[in-house]
Amino acid sequence: MYEKEKDAIGAFLRGEMDRRALIRRLGGLGVTAASAGTLYNMMATSALAADFDWQKHKGKSVKLLLNKHPYTDAMIANLPAFKDLTGMDVSYDIFPEDVYFDKVTAALSSRSSEYDAFMTGAYMTWTYGPAGWIVDHNEWLSDSSKTNPNYNWDDMLEGVRKSCAWNGVPGGELGSADAKQWCIPWGYEQNNLTFNAAMFEKAGVKVPTNLDEMLEAAAAVQAGNDGVYGVGVRGSRSWATIHPGFLSAYANFGEADLSNDGGKLSAAMNTAGSKEFHSKWVKMIQESGASDWSTHTWYQVGTDLGAGKSAMIFDADILGYFMNGGENAMAGQLAFAPFAANPAASAPTPNIWIWSLAMSKFSKDLDATWYFMQWASGPEHGLFGATEMDFVNPVRKSVWDSDVFRERLNKNYPGYVEMHDVSAPGASIKFTAQPLFFDLTTEWAATLQRMVANEVPVDEGLDQLAESMNSQLTEAGLR
Amino acid sequence: MDHTSFLERWFRRAALTVIIIFFMFPIFWIVLMSLQTNETILRSPPSMSFAPTLDNYTAILAGRLDSNVASMGIDFVNNLMNSIILSVCSVAVALALGVPAAYAFARHKFRGSEDIAFTLLSFRFAPPLLVLLPLTLYFQEIGLADTYLGLVWVYQLICLPLILWIVRGYFEDISPDIEYAYRIAGHSWFSTFRKIALPLAGPGIAAAGLLAFIFAWNNFIFALVLASADKQPVTVGALAFVTASGIQYGQIAAAIVLSIAPTLALALWAQRYLVEGLSLGAVKG
Repeated sequence: MYEKEKDAIGAFLRGEMDRRALIRRLGGLGVTAASAGTLYNMMATSALAADFDWQKHKGKSVKLLLNKHPYTDAMIANLPAFKDLTGMDVSYDIFPEDVYFDKVTAALSSRSSEYDAFMTGAYMTWTYGPAGWIVDHNEWLSDSSKTNPNYNWDDMLEGVRKSCAWNGVPGGELGSADAKQWCIPWGYEQNNLTFNAAMFEKAGVKVPTNLDEMLEAAAAVQAGNDGVYGVGVRGSRSWATIHPGFLSAYANFGEADLSNDGGKLSAAMNTAGSKEFHSKWVKMIQESGASDWSTHTWYQVGTDLGAGKSAMIFDADILGYFMNGGENAMAGQLAFAPFAANPAASAPTPNIWIWSLAMSKFSKDLDATWYFMQWASGPEHGLFGATEMDFVNPVRKSVWDSDVFRERLNKNYPGYVEMHDVSAPGASIKFTAQPLFFDLTTEWAATLQRMVANEVPVDEGLDQLAESMNSQLTEAGLR
Repeated sequence: MDHTSFLERWFRRAALTVIIIFFMFPIFWIVLMSLQTNETILRSPPSMSFAPTLDNYTAILAGRLDSNVASMGIDFVNNLMNSIILSVCSVAVALALGVPAAYAFARHKFRGSEDIAFTLLSFRFAPPLLVLLPLTLYFQEIGLADTYLGLVWVYQLICLPLILWIVRGYFEDISPDIEYAYRIAGHSWFSTFRKIALPLAGPGIAAAGLLAFIFAWNNFIFALVLASADKQPVTVGALAFVTASGIQYGQIAAAIVLSIAPTLALALWAQRYLVEGLSLGAVKG
């Protein structure tokens, strides 16, 4: 059974057949996309085993600390393939996201050897790395005896890969030649537009393509739909308010959080350009944002879109992806679009959140753990997760090239693929890497709240913010 | 003889009704939410008319969480069992250690007794995270990390001071003359403690035990830091319904109903002891 199908996939894996030809052939054999994915994964696992001694750490065990997330579900669903391939065992602890990073910090700061690897965000590694809690993964990536020759590190999207590497110098460029690879990208989020197509149509509004248009569209779609507000963006007093749509748009105007003068950092958000941008952003929230905007986190932004209370969000693309399914009232009615806030910009420049994997410095067996790491972040698992589970957005170019994956997205998520393709070249972390990241960014969000509440004018608020940040940077010896 | 006027009685009842509605409404609303789907919960404006469903309870008991994108495994029943194990064992240990200690502090004035009692109370003042991180290192060395025994031990930081100080006040309120009379009849110290002091302090001990149980049940941080996922209590487990792909309000509400049920039942059963025990223990002659 499936011998002909296996032959076709085998030919593809050996490079004797291109993707389109493979799909045509499988279609001709009556194989569904799901079955094709399963077969591909099975064959890919066999192909993996042919080129590398995956059984080197047979009998060993790895323990993971994971966040409850669709990426985790995809990995767990595919774990039997890893166990078959390596003869290793994998155990894991899964914690809810609300407490996940407390658990990680507690485990790492107490130098616990319980967990060998864990999920992390790239921002968090700016704390974990210099503290000596995680390893520089370059040591394993560059060792051909430890890394599968088909791992294909260069297949990772460049902006994503570089965003996970930092030299540890405050203000140091991410992905520089001397950077340490603190974590391995796993899945990531761009920040773009998800909109309710029916609401836009009802109000006769076009999808905005820059910030000025967004202000107008948000107001118009709000006026054209009863009980709906125009645009959902985050607003809680947290660093997470700054990093999605806000920073993506801000960076698109060429503005930065900090300036770096020969290693001396200074606040850069009180420039004329920044003040103009902030004024527009504040006006947009005041006129067309949620009435309880200052409490909005990822959850409220997504929930309101899914429940039909907001007409669009400028936030993580996968948040829109999630809200377009399940038992959400607006499931199936959402569409996606790339967004370059600056009309003079050639393309979007989304700031990104990267769910990554990192090895704990306190792991009892880093080499064995690396076997799991390279499998979990490898192209085969990426394709399995993207085509059979909800492992979006994948970080590998080869997965984005997969016709099966693209067709799956095009079928139910209109505009998603195009949005990604247009935005991916400019997608990277736009923050300056430095140890005060969480404190300074939270203060930025607090200032934004005061501006939206009309407690302080934008110009004055940004001057005060810059002064406060500069004082903290000086105190920390960074200025 | 009742001297209250009709108007006063009417106002009293009205005030009681308002207070009951004020305090019970959130619980009532949560129960209603637990019987709805996410879609009906998120309707704008909210409505009281809906077709009740037990799907949220079924999902929790079956261990499956249907999120916006997929079905995920959850282990809330295991979390509930962990809460029961940790709270019951912690209170039992705290009662076994705390009641005799409280009696000793109340009846026997010895050198340093106040200092020791205050030191035990000071466990309540320590910020948990400050204590837990170094404790994790020690627990790993002595093999207590990620064990129920280790957690029950740490839970004594919550239960022991509470029981000791409440029960001590209660013992101090009981006249020592009753115990002296029993001793003169030829009974031992232990017999006096068991036959006279303990029964008289019963309501106070029950009240302290119940309070300690509630505090232990509501604890969040100890197991989170010191144990792995399979030993987490309901306070951590309930957060599993807040996922990247959305908040499952209905299932959170069902989880809250299930998790407050044991403490609510215990509190209702023991409320007479709770009020009597706390008020008597607090008033000193």
